[in-house]
Amino acid sequence: MGNKFDDLAATIDDAARKGDAIAQLSEASAFTLPQAYDIQEKSIGLRLARGEFRVGMKMGFTSRAKIIQMGVDDMIWGRLTDGMLVEDGGEISFADYVHPRVEPEVAYLLKEPLEGPVTTIQAMSAVEAMAPALEIIDSRYKDFKFTVEDVVADNASSSGFVVGPWCHAEFDHSNLGMIMEFDGRPVQIGSTAAILGNPARSLAAASRMVAEFGERLEAGWIIMAGGATAAEALRPGVSVRNSVEHLGSVGFKVSA
Amino acid sequence: MSDQTKISEAADMLQTAYDSSNPCLPVRTMLDEGDIDAAYAVQEINSIRRLEGGARLVGRKIGLTSKQVQKQLGVDRPDFGLLFDDMAVPDGEEVPASAVLQPRVEGEITYILEKDLTMERPTTTDVVSAIAYASASIEIVGSRIKDWDINIQDTIADNASAALMVIGNDKVFLDEFDGRMCGMVMENRGEPVSVGAGVACLGHPINAVRWLAEEMVRRGRPLSAGDMVMSGALGPMVKVEPGEVYEVRISGLGSARAAFAPE
Repeated sequence: MGNKFDDLAATIDDAARKGDAIAQLSEASAFTLPQAYDIQEKSIGLRLARGEFRVGMKMGFTSRAKIIQMGVDDMIWGRLTDGMLVEDGGEISFADYVHPRVEPEVAYLLKEPLEGPVTTIQAMSAVEAMAPALEIIDSRYKDFKFTVEDVVADNASSSGFVVGPWCHAEFDHSNLGMIMEFDGRPVQIGSTAAILGNPARSLAAASRMVAEFGERLEAGWIIMAGGATAAEALRPGVSVRNSVEHLGSVGFKVSA
Repeated sequence: MSDQTKISEAADMLQTAYDSSNPCLPVRTMLDEGDIDAAYAVQEINSIRRLEGGARLVGRKIGLTSKQVQKQLGVDRPDFGLLFDDMAVPDGEEVPASAVLQPRVEGEITYILEKDLTMERPTTTDVVSAIAYASASIEIVGSRIKDWDINIQDTIADNASAALMVIGNDKVFLDEFDGRMCGMVMENRGEPVSVGAGVACLGHPINAVRWLAEEMVRRGRPLSAGDMVMSGALGPMVKVEPGEVYEVRISGLGSARAAFAPE
């Protein structure tokens, strides 16, 4: 069976590298959620083998509405590498992606590792700083359609992330207004409260969830807490900015 | 020009729906298509009834302040309704869900004025200088029209779907919070059911108040010192279920609760 998962991981990695859409992996043969995380690990392993290194993880399905919509009972997570990092104020090329979308988020930077189930307070005491962030999600599947197993195998759709200025996180950030703008016009409006009622809960959940697969959150890692609004489709030439109350803003451009 | 008889018939229909708690059919068909003035004339008839019945005018509400809602209704401007003293519910006090027809709740910023706004074309500066303070608030809207089947004329005629309001007890000055960026979350049973931010209300809630100040001068009921202005929703409306409590928190402004008695 190991070979089959290696093949699926290679298929996903290939699609991500070339920016090509593929059929859902689960269409050929079904696999379980734990197996989906195995495929994810193997496919990210191919990136690491090419010299990329792990810089953190991302949380997905962090709103009740999304969990219900997908018919699952927990969040999902994916792995972040330095190769996915887009510089604040940087530019991406539309052609490198399949059908990219963007979500406004906040990110945490850890100063200490977090292992296993932790309380929100324990999670926050490991935080060095937080920042406004944007995640570029890009399902490698045709028409952005997938089962939960498919999306987990596909690294929870993660393909890029942009992190703004790091700020101290020692204040109540459970309800910070968020505005995502395209070319200076608001396209999504929300609040950090949309992330599980408080994004710190997402950080605690991240520690619990990776432990199920023998991992821990490492000092120096960046944790993307999850989308605060619906995702917006990117288009060539667009300039994207996410402003978060009290945290400042972060942005990037898509080349024309 | 819409027919005067039709205008008063529309007002009667809405008043009957309000008094009997039986929603009525849309009134737009009784008015000339797109005749906003006629819709306000309907509203005014029922406002005068309330004032003559002893109610005290305490402020205004602004509706249709979100780009999305404007798109849904195919309009490019907000609307307003009148707020009376008998609509005010203290923070957290239980109200029977049946007190409002087809109730829904939304989180917004309420501004309280300390100066009259009587100029024909008030500037943003005029408006900011006239505001004493702000509070977090919940507007409990309701529609006297069956199934909320409304266009802009229906809702204007129906006092902009105003019903009840809960104004938070904290008094916050304008320099203490960021009106554009402030986050808004409405929670029910620990779950966020509506989230948003100040920008959702016409880019900044003060923009809505400025629009209202000009509109009220034009329509002969200028805003005056002491008036409260519910400036418009910061996130999507939420349908009310009996027995439920909805709490709104606005960053920097505190909170307010609308509690509904079980059926």
